[in-house]
Amino acid sequence: MADLLKDKVAIITGSGRGIGRGIAILMAEQGAKVVVVDPGVNVDGTGADNSLAGGVVAEIQQAGGEATACLESVATMDGGERIVQTAIDNYGKLDIVVTCAGILRDRMIFNMSEQEWDDVIAVHLKGTFSVVKNASILFRQQRSGRIITFTSVSGLYGNSGQANYGAAKDGIAGLTRVLARDLGRYGVTSNSISPGAATRMTGTVPEEARNLRSARGIGGSTGSAPRLRGEGDDIAPMVTWLASDEAAHVNGHVFHLTEGLVSLMNNPEPVKTIHKESRWTVEELAKVFPATIGLELFNPAPVQSPSQ
Amino acid sequence: MVDTLRDKVAIVTGAGRGIGRGVAKLMAEEGAKVVVVDPGVNVDGTGADQSIADSVVAEITQAGGTAVACQESVVTMSGGERIVQTAVDNYGKLDIVVTCAGILRDRMIFNMSEQEWDDVIAVHLKGTFTVVKNACILFRQQRSGRVITFSSQSGLVGNSGQANYGAAKSGIAGFTKVVAKDMGRYGVTANSIAPRASTRMIGAIPDSAQELRARSGVASLSEGNELDQLDPDGIAPFICYLATDYASTVNGQTFLVYGDTVSLMSQPRPTESIYTSSGHWDMDELSELARNYLTKDIYNPAPAT
Repeated sequence: MADLLKDKVAIITGSGRGIGRGIAILMAEQGAKVVVVDPGVNVDGTGADNSLAGGVVAEIQQAGGEATACLESVATMDGGERIVQTAIDNYGKLDIVVTCAGILRDRMIFNMSEQEWDDVIAVHLKGTFSVVKNASILFRQQRSGRIITFTSVSGLYGNSGQANYGAAKDGIAGLTRVLARDLGRYGVTSNSISPGAATRMTGTVPEEARNLRSARGIGGSTGSAPRLRGEGDDIAPMVTWLASDEAAHVNGHVFHLTEGLVSLMNNPEPVKTIHKESRWTVEELAKVFPATIGLELFNPAPVQSPSQ
Repeated sequence: MVDTLRDKVAIVTGAGRGIGRGVAKLMAEEGAKVVVVDPGVNVDGTGADQSIADSVVAEITQAGGTAVACQESVVTMSGGERIVQTAVDNYGKLDIVVTCAGILRDRMIFNMSEQEWDDVIAVHLKGTFTVVKNACILFRQQRSGRVITFSSQSGLVGNSGQANYGAAKSGIAGFTKVVAKDMGRYGVTANSIAPRASTRMIGAIPDSAQELRARSGVASLSEGNELDQLDPDGIAPFICYLATDYASTVNGQTFLVYGDTVSLMSQPRPTESIYTSSGHWDMDELSELARNYLTKDIYNPAPAT
């Protein structure tokens, strides 16, 4: 047993399967006491399988680690509070929160129902807030803590058919940038992970969206993003490192992780600028824009004729 | 009266005041028929003043333009549907949606209430979805349309005290990139704007957050002095340009707009990378490379004090 996270207490939401499970297991291997949070819902948010979180806890314990299961949902503030309380009740403190919990309800924007929108926003975006807000109360008091959230290439670049998921995931990136600024002064760091891994989450992108994508020649499932590859377990090492004392200086950043590759993403910044000493007219912009900042602008989905 | 938007029909949400009002007025000047959407709430989302939208419509019609007021809220799907229906009922079609509607409920993350979170996400993020989704049904059928949403530097860069607003605004940027991909093939474009302007939205940032920002040295992007001089009407010309037929290939982008300046924002890209050839990291190897290379000179926006 290694000890990068010795005596640390970690909450990992969505750790019954996939990426979250890999993180829970590695953090326990590195000495952390882990709260394995997973109500065991299906990838569309329906159902509940109480045995999932328990299964991961059993794996961790059999390997000599410490863990406890928590079946609360992240989608309510009460749930977030009880998840944080589970760490306190079992291990007396909290050092790390990792928010992997998520569901998918893919649909083209013109067909997306209110329910499909609300459910995805609730689990990803509010589900990150509900846990992080309650953790941040403790983190501020103790003047230490680690917050690691999950964004996605779908939010950063946009995947067709994922208006709800893309909004939630880019929202999480934005939330994390604010967390970094609200909590950094208290010795707390907040960073976000964009994972490239093959899990059940990538299996549910509907065929229609896949076909649309390939018909448009965008290729892959992530546009210009790095291609999805690797497995859930490939994400755990960098997340574990970010949770350690070694990463106390790393705050407010997005990391893209795929099999064996860890990339620091740029922060959004202006790349080309036009300026005038007085108010632009629309006609002036129509002349100047295409020749300046509009030059060689990439269109992610050019218009197609109806037959295509 | 000029005519870069002649015969176009535009919905502008949050058009009763500030940036939205400037957009509605200039679009009307450029020949568009405008639905001025604003229930007239306070900057924190409370109250309702029906006269706000009416007075913008009066301004437009007095200047010889065409506009109609709509007091619906963007936060429900039925509200979004009625807003789109108002355009169709009055002008027979819809070409452009601009979603400026927004409120503020600033609070440090550890003090932010569920209500403060929910209200801001509802108006900004769901309020963008409700209008855009209903507009996209028409846009897809007619194989044309313009979606222009409002993100913010608070979402793209992060402002202390704005976890709800930053999440919503960054979410809108991500949402817009997906809409660009879903709708581009149908001749529809979707872009988002990160504006800087002196409006009532800036006045609502609590002093405690302003002070924290100042003390931690991260104030640069919302410095009150600079914003005080940025006329919200300065945002309108570029929005109008994006709405014209000239901008038919500009899709999936985010623009920073302030004063008389327009900047294209970068797309996400890796800046530094570390790699293990085995495909699976050993913790010691990762720790060594992460510490001594990947994060060696990394910027910390709010170091511990």
